[in-house]
Amino acid sequence: MSDEVHHDPDVPQEDYMSGLRMARRDFLVKSGLVAAAAAAAPGWLQTEQAAAAIKASTSAGAARDSIASSAVAAAKQFEGFAMGRINEAGPQALDDKNFSGPLWEKLTGIETKLTEAPFAQIRTKIIAENLAKSGALDSVEVSPAWIPDFADQGVIIPIDSLIRKNKAQATVADLHPLYRALARYKGKTWGFFDDGDVWALYYRKDIFSNAKLKAAYKAKFKRDLRVPRGWDEFNQVAQFITDQMAPKVYGTGMGRALGNPGNQFYFFQQFRANGGRFFNPQTMKAEISNAIAVRTMKQILLQNEASPPGVEKLDFVSGWGLWLQGKTAMIMAWPPTGRISENISQRDKAFSFLPKSQIVGKVGYARVPGQNGEHAGAFIKCVMATSENKEAAYLFNQWATSPSVSLQRVMLPYTLRDPYRISHYRAPSYKKLWKGADQYLVTLAEAANDAVLDLSMSGAGDYANALDRSMTSMYAGKDVKDALDEAAREWDSITNKLGVAKQRASYAIFLKYPGATSKNTVRKLGQAVKV
Amino acid sequence: MATRAERIGRRRPTAVSSWVDRHIGWLLVSPAVLIVVALTIFPLGFSLWLAFVQYDFTLGPEHPWVGLDNFVENWKDPVWRASLWRTVWFSVTMVAIELVLGMLLALAMLRPFRARRVLMTLFVIPLFISPVVVGGFFDLFVRRPYGVANQLASWVWPGTVTVDFTNDSPWLYLVLIMADVWQWTPFMFVILLAGLSAIPDTLYEAADLDGAKPRQSFFFVTLPLLVPIILIAVTFRLIDAAKLFDIIFSLTRGGPGTDTYTTSYYLYQQGFEFFHLGQGTAGAWMFLIMLSFVSFWLVRRLLKPVEENSL
Repeated sequence: MSDEVHHDPDVPQEDYMSGLRMARRDFLVKSGLVAAAAAAAPGWLQTEQAAAAIKASTSAGAARDSIASSAVAAAKQFEGFAMGRINEAGPQALDDKNFSGPLWEKLTGIETKLTEAPFAQIRTKIIAENLAKSGALDSVEVSPAWIPDFADQGVIIPIDSLIRKNKAQATVADLHPLYRALARYKGKTWGFFDDGDVWALYYRKDIFSNAKLKAAYKAKFKRDLRVPRGWDEFNQVAQFITDQMAPKVYGTGMGRALGNPGNQFYFFQQFRANGGRFFNPQTMKAEISNAIAVRTMKQILLQNEASPPGVEKLDFVSGWGLWLQGKTAMIMAWPPTGRISENISQRDKAFSFLPKSQIVGKVGYARVPGQNGEHAGAFIKCVMATSENKEAAYLFNQWATSPSVSLQRVMLPYTLRDPYRISHYRAPSYKKLWKGADQYLVTLAEAANDAVLDLSMSGAGDYANALDRSMTSMYAGKDVKDALDEAAREWDSITNKLGVAKQRASYAIFLKYPGATSKNTVRKLGQAVKV
Repeated sequence: MATRAERIGRRRPTAVSSWVDRHIGWLLVSPAVLIVVALTIFPLGFSLWLAFVQYDFTLGPEHPWVGLDNFVENWKDPVWRASLWRTVWFSVTMVAIELVLGMLLALAMLRPFRARRVLMTLFVIPLFISPVVVGGFFDLFVRRPYGVANQLASWVWPGTVTVDFTNDSPWLYLVLIMADVWQWTPFMFVILLAGLSAIPDTLYEAADLDGAKPRQSFFFVTLPLLVPIILIAVTFRLIDAAKLFDIIFSLTRGGPGTDTYTTSYYLYQQGFEFFHLGQGTAGAWMFLIMLSFVSFWLVRRLLKPVEENSL
């Protein structure tokens, strides 16, 4: 089978990638246009977005966004205040540096002092600041999984009274239902949700429409080659593509390095799609080493076999690199994948760490196999309890996450901020960003309808780390059952340390969130959003 | 008219100036004492308190006295015990290899030859590189699919080599040891070369007259005289190697699983990633006490000849 497709001496492999060939003249004309657009893009895109944000924040006409403009009007009393912010180092921080920070200062006179940190260290820096109480941080980016610990330990403040005072209740209604509840905990609101980090499946349309590959697949498996809908099918298709096309193209290849992005994300989504649950809600004994967990892990290990060599140590950005160079046929990843695949982000020099996409126009979008994609990571803008000017920090958060301003921010080429409002998914300006952006937005909304959440409860970081470590030991050859048993023991030990009763209550709260399990997704609760 | 000096000399000492005169010694050293207290004594005392209270971000803002619980918690943790054992064998293996290689290099560089200075300069360069950078460099060198290690190995080994040097056992240990040896062998080399240079030539001439062969000169002249220097180098390196962190952090992050956790890495994670500060600090004290025993034993060995000579 392999020889028929890949090693046919008369047919170069490139011919299997349909749609590649064009006349030389066409090529030159299109290349020129693309180059001109790429050169011009950073300037006009930023200016247009900044202008739209200013208009929404200050004008009196139809373009006015009351959430944004009321925040600006109220914040002017704090002119001269230097607000401490923390954001993820690299592209995410460029939002504060190039867009939100300077615009907020221009509108209100409040300066932004930014601290950058890698994702996991944002948590530790916030905790350290809470212990030190230096007042260095006012507005902070908090992942939903950290909210229970931060709220219980008094690191962040509830903002319900500030929302009422500033009449900003309407800002929540426009959020996708998956994200609406995430900033709520124990009956209070702890921040403004600000990053729709739901995973989707990104696949190469040209490979899936390749006639010879389709014929070979049908001959081997007696069914049509299609974008996988289940995990076993995903593994089968990925391995088939690898067998046929490696080393030029592999079926899949996603970052599996310890802590980068965090292997627990893969397990969390797939385990629940397979019907698993994390704990017994009564006894709080960990259930991550049962038959469903073993099956899940074996599926994940099969994905590694269909991936490029060294995938066990591949970090997430390197996984993107392989994808953009056309070396992988399918990846499950965060929403920026759609944008970078079309070279939207690489127009900006901040994205020079990623190669230019070789797969522009060839990428299709779908929900992940099993349909329940992980809502992995994400950010909520919160106010530190140690802030010396909590209201100013709150007002910045209200302004930045308001429908109009946030729309401009999720369209910035140089950040990793992803659509999360219903108005984002429906925005005509977003749909114009590239051909196919409308399908991308539909897929993101649909993925959020079926998404499952990160484990968000007290001790979430410890549970995630134990599982991540355990998974990397399995990648290195440790017996699956033994490693999962060890991880389950570690989970039980964490639970006992934190207190079984406390953890039972915390887990019960988590289970009430839409997307806590595959049985209570937004769609299954009847709240699905249609775009 | 009295001069200024006379006026000052006649002025009656005030209570303040008398007090200053009496305590001038303390006043002069007080800035240094304050800095030491603020930056060393207080943190040490605070960390001792931390080790005996519940100081854990996830357990709440109260810090009740828990006695030895934090110490027991560490001891019960199989990851801590494994990391301790790994630290021991990593340190001993690394220092032993560095000692042998450093000695060979020092012997080779002892006599003048062409390009000796250039080579010596090149040999000591790794000493000036940050260990994090060394870890990053080795990561780029061995990591699949980009690293060149497999390609190089395929040239000397039959067939295609497809080892994942940062994931497959025992290769990942080998890479960690190689990285440390690459960086710290020059330290051994420099110290041993200084020691070798200090041995008088007359002793070798005497040995030569007695008919000693080069091997015998090395074992019966060089080595005995070099023992104190070797002990100094080994003491410094063992204490440093026991704190191995940077290379682990940048090369394996302790993985796969916890297979490359050293005690320092474990403690860093407990303290600064999970904010289990009570447990982490207790672990650090346990490690410090263990390390102190080793250091004490080594220093006693080091001082033995000095004490014997002074009797």
